[in-house]
Amino acid sequence: MKKHTTLLSAAIAGAMLLAGCGKKDDTLNLFAWTEYVPQAVIDKFTEETGIKVALETYSSNEEMLAKLLAGGGDYDLIQPSEYTVEAMIKEDLLTPLDHAKIPNLKNLAPEFRAMPFDPGNKYSVPWLSGFVGITYNAETVPGPVVGYGDVFTPQHAGRIVTLDDSRELVSWAMAASGLPANEVTDDNLEKIKPLLKDWMSKIKVYDSDSPKTSLSNGDVDIGVIWSGEGAILFNQNPKFQWVLPAEGFHMFIDSLAIPKTARNKDIAEQFINFILRPEISKMILDEFPYYSPNAEARKLLSEAERNNPASYPPGLDITKALLFKDVGEQGSKVDELITSLKVQQ
Amino acid sequence: MAVTAAAAALGSGSSHQRRAGLGPWFCLTPMLGWLLLFVIVPTLMLVVVSFSERDALGRVIYNFNVENYIRAFDWMWLKILGISVWYAFLTTVICLILGYPVAYFIGRSDERLRGLLIMLVMIPFWTSFLIRTYAWISILSQEGLLNAALMGAGLVSAPIGFMYTPFAVVLGLVYNFLPFMILPIYTSVEKLDGSLIEAAYDLGARPARVFAQVVLPLTQPGIAAGILLVFVPAIAMFAITTLMGGGTNPTIGEVIQNQFTKARNQPFGAALGVLLLILFLASLWLSSRFRREQEA
Repeated sequence: MKKHTTLLSAAIAGAMLLAGCGKKDDTLNLFAWTEYVPQAVIDKFTEETGIKVALETYSSNEEMLAKLLAGGGDYDLIQPSEYTVEAMIKEDLLTPLDHAKIPNLKNLAPEFRAMPFDPGNKYSVPWLSGFVGITYNAETVPGPVVGYGDVFTPQHAGRIVTLDDSRELVSWAMAASGLPANEVTDDNLEKIKPLLKDWMSKIKVYDSDSPKTSLSNGDVDIGVIWSGEGAILFNQNPKFQWVLPAEGFHMFIDSLAIPKTARNKDIAEQFINFILRPEISKMILDEFPYYSPNAEARKLLSEAERNNPASYPPGLDITKALLFKDVGEQGSKVDELITSLKVQQ
Repeated sequence: MAVTAAAAALGSGSSHQRRAGLGPWFCLTPMLGWLLLFVIVPTLMLVVVSFSERDALGRVIYNFNVENYIRAFDWMWLKILGISVWYAFLTTVICLILGYPVAYFIGRSDERLRGLLIMLVMIPFWTSFLIRTYAWISILSQEGLLNAALMGAGLVSAPIGFMYTPFAVVLGLVYNFLPFMILPIYTSVEKLDGSLIEAAYDLGARPARVFAQVVLPLTQPGIAAGILLVFVPAIAMFAITTLMGGGTNPTIGEVIQNQFTKARNQPFGAALGVLLLILFLASLWLSSRFRREQEA
């Protein structure tokens, strides 16, 4: 999802804007997450098809939506997360895909062809998916760590990193309180407030871009972070253990979709079909060790990659995964709750 | 006293007036166009959006209401603003204390050396401030350079948590804004007339008095410019505060950024932005009034 050094890329956004000036019709205008599309994949696509790719990046679904709705760019292909796909379908902002042009859809694992936000991949094709879970330094945290209750303990006060994401924080507290995480009502927010307040008093760092940094630098011992970041930490040093929270875990799915305003629908579908090829999908997994929606690409993984507990959690039951639904205007309330609790600390 | 009178005379000597013809206006057109396009129009857009509403996807709906401003005066946002102003104030004071002697030393040093020293102040600008901030993270973290040095020297037995504290935030801000304090003060010091200082000594003033009554008043424009250049952007800075502070104590810049992105609430972010703008204008107005009163 959110990749490290988002801010760094913001620094060179100016250069990208300039690069976008020379757009022509045989160019794919790709609007994607910062550091989520390997340059090697883009180069390979251009080499095979002769089609240039103009990449513009964003660091949150909301940023993408804001730019798209403002009509600022002619994006052919975007990369929204599951709840954004849902909202965009509802608002009639996406073009249905022509499956005849995307034969490689067959490579997707069956569960990714029947996701509730877009059953049958009518509008979207999963790019990568992953989880939000617990990573801890086994040398300093004796364990056992099973769920959120083991993270936000007095022993870990001031030694915790979490994502800097209001919706995530709220969903963990709701899961720990036995509330359905997608029912973000005023009542439920009020109910979880004391628990969140207690948790947040113990958090040292909020970081969505590179939560692994504070863990690998030894500034914190335990965190609730993206699974891809956990997988990279585990590869660096197996002392960084990964656990899916027992109270319930969030699974995110970032997909490719074509906005209604796209000018090069054919090229966009060609690119979708291209990245669904197992060897291309594997190139993406090499850089971003998340959970692959591509069953054929998974077969190309090495044993070590397949056994990384953060990428492919042992005993994973995907039907238990929690998918976020769009909460619309309640998002502002969620943000205000988290901000107010940050200020109260 | 004769010296301060001389200084005052110098200060007011430059304000002779002349009527401008069409030529200068023509030359100014690009700048005026630039101001209109990139300052006035965006500010007006900000004001319009701040009085609007938004829908579930964050689209702005131009439906006049003052709800955003009512919400902005909640204690929570005011407290965040207070924290941001406090950080900016600390940053400005530390930059002034550190920057003044440096600027003075450079300004009074040999002319050939001066160019080199100013270049040393400027060199960090060749790299993005974000990269330099990341460098601080690897210096200050628990397994970083500073802790390794302290432990190696036997000064501490366990690593110190420098990162993700208010200390780290202010350090990051001071580091990034220090050149903005040094450069304007340096310009004032460079223009300092040495004969005035000599005159003060000849009249029997001691170094402390020379500094307080001659050097300080003459370099005051540089100090004022430095304070504005540091204080104003430091209030609204968000990237450094997030990276160094760990996001536990949100600043007003972070909050505004959040409204435009994750919270999908551009109108509220715009309202906070307008309030911040009013605060800046007020501080500019106060400082220029203060200067005029001093000159009078």
